[in-house]
Amino acid sequence: MTGQDTSHVCVRFFSVLREVCGVERIEVELPSTQASGEDLLDELEQHYPQLRSYRPTLRLAVNHTYEPPSVHLRDGDEVALITPVSGG
Amino acid sequence: MKYLTRLTYNPIDTDATLRFLQVAEAGGICFFVGTTRRWTDGRETVELSYTSYEEMACEELERLAREALCRWPLERVCLLHRLGTVPVAQVSVAVGAAAAHRAEAFEACRFLINTLKEQVPIWKKEHFADGKTEWVQGE
Repeated sequence: MTGQDTSHVCVRFFSVLREVCGVERIEVELPSTQASGEDLLDELEQHYPQLRSYRPTLRLAVNHTYEPPSVHLRDGDEVALITPVSGG
Repeated sequence: MKYLTRLTYNPIDTDATLRFLQVAEAGGICFFVGTTRRWTDGRETVELSYTSYEEMACEELERLAREALCRWPLERVCLLHRLGTVPVAQVSVAVGAAAAHRAEAFEACRFLINTLKEQVPIWKKEHFADGKTEWVQGE
């Protein structure tokens, strides 16, 4: 059940973040339905302080689309933490 | 379908990919292949390993293909990336564009590989001969 004043999002970790944080996927409850990507990152840093040094170059993808940290998150969103990509 | 995009854990079949690009309407095909290089700044690489946010990477590859088809008069486009371990000299990525004339094919192909390297959520890890490993951080 979803609380009236909270949002639940799924957060995905990849590459170096998956290694340093030791997780691939977590569910996060945000204490607001007006939460932003920035709020999510602040919340994640509380539990994974290792994220701090990666934050300046981190991009967010919400439901498979790159979004700025100001993005408004909705209940059920999937948010991926994208460190600088290195394909090719 | 005018484009072929794929993430695969198998070796990339460059012959089959080139055949996809060879159509009667095209007179020029530009085909770029990226391979694992042995030496970087004096350090010897044994292999690269690639991981991906696969659901999004597949969508981004398709988006790039469609963007190239909008921006240039192309007959065919391809973007393929291998995941998992890619040993030295083997192919990790293949992108290509076929057009009536070579100018557009060259421009589109350069756009495809440059943008793939900036946008598609794939990450590589270097495995060095001394046993160390290192995630490569993109630009």
